[in-house]
Amino acid sequence: MSTMRLLLIEDNERLGGLIRDGLTKDGLAVDWQQTLEDGEATLEAAAFDLVLLDLGLPDGDGLDLIRRLRRACDTIPILVLTARGGLSDRITGLDAGADDYLVKPFDITELSARCRALLRRPVQGLTPVLSVGKLTFDTSTRQAAYDDTLIELSRREAGLLEVLMRRAGAVLTKQALEEAVYDFNEPVTPNAVEVAISRLRRRLDDAGVKDLLHNVRGIGYMLKAKRG
Amino acid sequence: MKRGSIFGRLALGLIVVGLVGAVVLLVFVAFEYGLSFGAGPGSLTFGEVMNEVGDHVVVPLLVLMLPLAFAVPWVIQTSLRPLKDAAAQIELAQTADRGFRVNADDFPAEALGFAEAVNGLLGRLDETASRQEAFAADVAHELRTPLAILALELERLDGETAARLKRDVTNMSRLVEQLLVLAQLDAQAAARVPTQDVALADVAASIVSHFAPLAMDEEKEIALEAGDGATVSGRPEVISAALRNLVENALRVTPPHGTVTVLVGPGAILRVRDGGPGMSHQALKDYRQRLHRGDHSSRSGAGLGLAIVSRIMEAHGGTLRTDPDRTELVLEFGRSA
Repeated sequence: MSTMRLLLIEDNERLGGLIRDGLTKDGLAVDWQQTLEDGEATLEAAAFDLVLLDLGLPDGDGLDLIRRLRRACDTIPILVLTARGGLSDRITGLDAGADDYLVKPFDITELSARCRALLRRPVQGLTPVLSVGKLTFDTSTRQAAYDDTLIELSRREAGLLEVLMRRAGAVLTKQALEEAVYDFNEPVTPNAVEVAISRLRRRLDDAGVKDLLHNVRGIGYMLKAKRG
Repeated sequence: MKRGSIFGRLALGLIVVGLVGAVVLLVFVAFEYGLSFGAGPGSLTFGEVMNEVGDHVVVPLLVLMLPLAFAVPWVIQTSLRPLKDAAAQIELAQTADRGFRVNADDFPAEALGFAEAVNGLLGRLDETASRQEAFAADVAHELRTPLAILALELERLDGETAARLKRDVTNMSRLVEQLLVLAQLDAQAAARVPTQDVALADVAASIVSHFAPLAMDEEKEIALEAGDGATVSGRPEVISAALRNLVENALRVTPPHGTVTVLVGPGAILRVRDGGPGMSHQALKDYRQRLHRGDHSSRSGAGLGLAIVSRIMEAHGGTLRTDPDRTELVLEFGRSA
C-alpha cells in the first residue's frame, strides 16, 4: 500500500480525527499534530510528502510556518485548510507560499484528490495505478486499461491521460495540457491539445469508456465519472 | 444663512481700522490747526487751512491707502493659503486607503488642531473596520469548523436523510460565505483597503472551472466565452464572490441538459447567461431591495445573494443589471473602484 506520508496540523480534536481517519482509509499515512510548535518539531524529525495546515492555531498563525519553511527553501507541498475563505487570507496563503487551499467545510474525497494532485515527486512504494471508475492507468508501465482490458495509447495520449487522471474531477486548462504534451519530441501545433484529446477520446470510446472525458468550453478538459 | 469668511472679516477689519485711523488723524490735525489759527497774529483763513490739510495730510494718506488697498487682499490671501493647502490635504483622506493619515508637517499652527482631529477620526474608522473584519474572521472560524465536522461525519453515513442533511450543510456554508462578504463590504465602506488590478477573464475562468464538476453532476453544462481581457480595480475575492453568486443562481434556474455561459466583455463587463426564463427588471429590483429592508426570507435562496452582488457592484462603481430577453444577468464595472 501507499506510504505517502502527510503531516496534518489542525487544533480541533474532532475535525483532526475525522480528517486523519478519512485520509487513512484512502490509503495515506497521516501524522497529526495540534499546535504549530509540535508540527514544526515533527517536520524536523521526519520526512513528509505533504503538509495539511490549518491557519488559525492556538500558538500562532499557520501563515508564519509557511513563510518560515519557504524562507528556509523547503519546497514541501503545503495545502492550507482555511475557515476564512472569502476573506483575503485565501490569497495571502498562496502569496506566502502555500500550493493550494481548501475552504472548510470540505469532503474527504475532495481533500484526498487535492492531496494526490499536490504530490509532485514520485513517492517510493506509492501505488502506481491511478483509477477513475473502471478506467485505470499504471504510471510505471504507462498502460491504460478499462475493465482490465488494455487500451492502446501513443506516448502523447498516455501523457495526456495521466495528467487528466491525476487531477480527475477538476478542470485542466488547455495551457496546462499543452505542457503535458510538450514534453515529447513532436512539434506542438496550435491545436495540438485538441487533436490529441480527440484521438484519446476515440481510443477511450473504442474501449467502451463513455461519459468520462468532458470538454469545458472556453477553458479545457476534465476527466470525471458521473456521480452515483 | 450667510457663511462668514476669514478673508471677509480681515478685509472689513482692515478697512474699518484704516478709515477710523484717517478720521482720527484728520480730527487731530484739524484740532491742531484750529488751536494755531485762533492764537497767532498771522492767522490763516479757513480755506487756507483746508488747503494745507489737503496737501500735507489727505494726499499722503491717499498715497498710502491706494497701494494698501491692493496689497491687503494679497497679504490676506497669502497668509490664508496654508489653510487652503491643509484643507486640500484633509480632503485627500476622503478617498484614501486604510491607514492614511493627514500629513501635518507643513501645516500652520492654527490648522494643526484640525489635522489632529481628522487623524483621530481616521484612526477610529480604521479600528472599526479592522475590528469588523476580525469579527467576521472569528465568526467564520467558529461556524465553519463545526460545519466541517458535521460534513465529514455525514460523509460516513448513507441514505436519504444523510443526503438531505448534506445539502443543508452546503446551504449553511453558502450563507456563512455570504455573511463574510457582507462584513467585508461594510468594513470596506468604513475604511478602504488598497485595491488591485483584477483581470475579469481570470476571475471568470476560475469560477467556471470551479463549477464545472458540480454542473456535470446535475447534468448541466457550463462554458466560458472570454472576449477581450478587461481589467478592473478592486478586490479579486469580492469580485469572485459576485460572479459565484450569479453562477450559482444560474445553475439553480437552468433545467437539466441546459447550459450556463459566462461571458467576458465587451469592456469591463461580466455576463452570466442561463437556461431559465430570465429575470424581469421588477424581480431584480425586489431582490435588490431585500437587503435594505432587512427581509432575508427567500424561498429560492437567491435573495440575499443578489442583494450582496448588488452591494459588491456599488462598491466597485458598477451595477448589476438584468437582460431578460437574453436571459442574462450583467455585472457592469465602473471605470475604477
